[in-house]
Amino acid sequence: MADPVASVLPSPVANAPRKRSDLKRLGIFAAIALVVIAIGPYVLPMYMVNGLIRAFLYAAVALTVDVLWGYTGILTFGQSAFFGIGAYAAGLMFTHVGFSTGYAAIALVAGVGVAMLVAGLVGWLAFYHGASPLYGSVVTLVLPIVVTQILFSGGNFTGSSSGLSGFESFDVSIEAWFWIAGGFLVALTSAAWLFVRSDAGRILVAIRENEQRCEYVGINVSRVKIVLMVVCAAIAAIAGYAFAGVQMVVAPEYAGFVFGTELLIWVALGGRGTLIGPVIGTLVLDVSTSYLSGNLPFVWKLVIGVAFVVVIVALPQGLTPLVTRTARRIFGRRETAAPDAPVTFEQSAAAPYAGLEGAGQQALAVEGVRKHFGSLAVLQGIDFAASRGELLSLVGPNGAGKTTLMRCVADGNERSGGTVRINDHDIGRKPPYTCVGFGVGRKFQTANVFETLTVAEALRIARTRMARPSLWSRAGTLPLPEASLQVIRATGLDLQIGTEARHLSHGMKQALELAMVLALEPSVLLLDEPTAGLTKPERTMIGGILVNLAQKHRLCILLVEHDLDFVREISSRVIVLHQGRLVLDGTVAEVVESELVRTIYSGAAHGAPS
Amino acid sequence: MSTLLDILTTAAILYSVCAGLLLVFGVMKIINFAHGGFLTVGGYSALLVTHLGLHPWWAPAFAFVIGAVCGMAIERLVVRPLYSRPLDAILATWGLGIIIGQVITLAFGREVQFVQSPVTGALDLPGGASYSEYRLLLVAVAVALGLTLAAVLEGTRLGLVTRAVIMNENLARALGINSGLVRFATFSLGAGLASLAGALITPLSSVDPNMGVPWLVNAFMLVMVSGVSLVSLAIACVVLGGAQVLVSQWGNPILGGLTIVVLAAFVLRLRPQGFSRG
Repeated sequence: MADPVASVLPSPVANAPRKRSDLKRLGIFAAIALVVIAIGPYVLPMYMVNGLIRAFLYAAVALTVDVLWGYTGILTFGQSAFFGIGAYAAGLMFTHVGFSTGYAAIALVAGVGVAMLVAGLVGWLAFYHGASPLYGSVVTLVLPIVVTQILFSGGNFTGSSSGLSGFESFDVSIEAWFWIAGGFLVALTSAAWLFVRSDAGRILVAIRENEQRCEYVGINVSRVKIVLMVVCAAIAAIAGYAFAGVQMVVAPEYAGFVFGTELLIWVALGGRGTLIGPVIGTLVLDVSTSYLSGNLPFVWKLVIGVAFVVVIVALPQGLTPLVTRTARRIFGRRETAAPDAPVTFEQSAAAPYAGLEGAGQQALAVEGVRKHFGSLAVLQGIDFAASRGELLSLVGPNGAGKTTLMRCVADGNERSGGTVRINDHDIGRKPPYTCVGFGVGRKFQTANVFETLTVAEALRIARTRMARPSLWSRAGTLPLPEASLQVIRATGLDLQIGTEARHLSHGMKQALELAMVLALEPSVLLLDEPTAGLTKPERTMIGGILVNLAQKHRLCILLVEHDLDFVREISSRVIVLHQGRLVLDGTVAEVVESELVRTIYSGAAHGAPS
Repeated sequence: MSTLLDILTTAAILYSVCAGLLLVFGVMKIINFAHGGFLTVGGYSALLVTHLGLHPWWAPAFAFVIGAVCGMAIERLVVRPLYSRPLDAILATWGLGIIIGQVITLAFGREVQFVQSPVTGALDLPGGASYSEYRLLLVAVAVALGLTLAAVLEGTRLGLVTRAVIMNENLARALGINSGLVRFATFSLGAGLASLAGALITPLSSVDPNMGVPWLVNAFMLVMVSGVSLVSLAIACVVLGGAQVLVSQWGNPILGGLTIVVLAAFVLRLRPQGFSRG
């Protein structure tokens, strides 16, 4: 984390109205909600007030499920376990020790603390580098099962299957509980709304969209997920604690896997990734369940089941978007969501080698790098070094190991043997986000971007490493290094900063990814066929940019390319790979005139694909 | 001796319960959370056989047919649109499990009911103890099931086509294999097998509308550690099922109930490919 202060400037005036209107909208919503909650206990029947208190607390947990699942893409069955931990913290303390303000405070701290610890453990287990999303879900599924079984086996201490009840609790009227729980929910929803729309909140969506790209722009995805899990666990535990305080009963079901899936059902029906949808979904469904399950016990649950399946299959975004769209149509209002906050680019103070003590001697050193898949050797002892300002092309027929070599340079876990040093730092077994810190920037072969993020958002994600994004607001300016700005302006990306990446043309996506990688201010740039699928003029332009990067910005560029004409025009040096071995390392002229290269391309292989 | 038999029979039961789930996961890359629902369907099919006064031997066959028919309908209506959204498929099939549970509750009531067992005797063991013949029979059933599935996969044209889809669905489709049909057949077969397993396990305990859920979680974890191989599933069932028996016997039954899920989660953390090779 370099110098966040130097590169983040105060927002310009142009952006202020938009931000103010955002905050104003939030303020109006929150105020209306608070007024409704304030008068609620006076107009609603007692039964309803009671039911809503419970629903408010459930909705708070549903909100955490939405942040984890709807925004970040972590399908979790386990939030119920944290709710249960918070509830049992209160239940155990008040049953076995007794009730006093001091004990209540201790119980709260203990409950939240245990929940956070467990969440940390679960996160460590579920979100290791390279874990599949399915595995993460598996772990969150195991958690509530383990917690309920522990509660079952606790005998008199935890009350086993019947739980604990009848303990003394807060001397607070039911109306006051209604205000506390309602106020808690409104505050939480507002905070979550600010967070997911903030610059930092966009990282969650980036992780959902493309975890790999996140790691290759230097974001430690596992850590983000674990921190998020821990925070969400704490919130769920607070809700559970309040639940035990008001209901004066705790039971293993509240920590269970079935409750965990019920939370998912509420979120899915309300509309994942909308915050307000899951809240309303929870309130409506929980309250109507407590009314209807008396009259139509099994039919009601059947209806919920059918609605859930239908929504997942046919309306993955849930009912909220449907309702808002219909409302707009009825009231004749146009979509108000569209234009994104205007962001202005500006040039940042150059900060190459951010986080490193110095530039070091050698930009890139590859020594004896080997890679094999089982018995198949793909790379067999590759040795070369490259300095700053070199534009080194890597050529060779398909299957020569070019892309594999790129991978071995950018991710410490890829190679089977040998050493890779970036700016004199041994990458060891370090994951991609650490290698980015050493100065590597990797552009993938096929454009690897965040499909639903706008150009500006994607570029900001790429700057996360340099400038810690705000947790609650959106900056109006985006400082980018000169090289990145050059690409953006030359390709016309600056005219589409509010466009989502999925609406960009193929060439523009490639340009966006290149701009993102350059925003990292790498000193070693890895490019895997950056011109594949581009038109001739686009190619020439990219070539010019690359030469400029190497000569003017002194980047060390490693380029995989099939188009030998292109290579000849821009390279300062060429390395030829063949069947996993480095067969030639020399100037463009040496390689072009080499008999060996001609044999490889025309004889052994079947002509050079270009 | 009886511990050894416990391990063997537990592994056999787990294997029968998991086979359908494994098949669906292997071919479709989808976790079928309605698997528990299909087990319940099988249990109640067996109950119906008892009610109709048929010989209990009819139960497994009857259950298989009912399960497969349910599977066909569900594949068409629910699973097919979710091929490209595997996490959503988990949720939708979980919702299906709820629906199946509620429909059964409406039809049969929520109380626990009992099913007639086809074999009631006990086998005398050397040393004076005796062991349930039905549990031993289930070992033979599991072995037969495994061999039949292997024979179908390795020895028939359908199996060849299925293996092609497992390895590379896009290529298989490009070669003119109707992968949609393969998926349809697989899901129906998986549902049928789950239902069959449900009918097999009911004589050991009882039937109730939520009987499938505890099995589902264990089966899910076992399939996760097995990859997509029938052999590694057998290994996983013996190792983790065995651990469950031992923990229940020497530790306590509640810990025993957790053994499979916790061990499986840690196995996957340390060795993401689980019990499968490579």
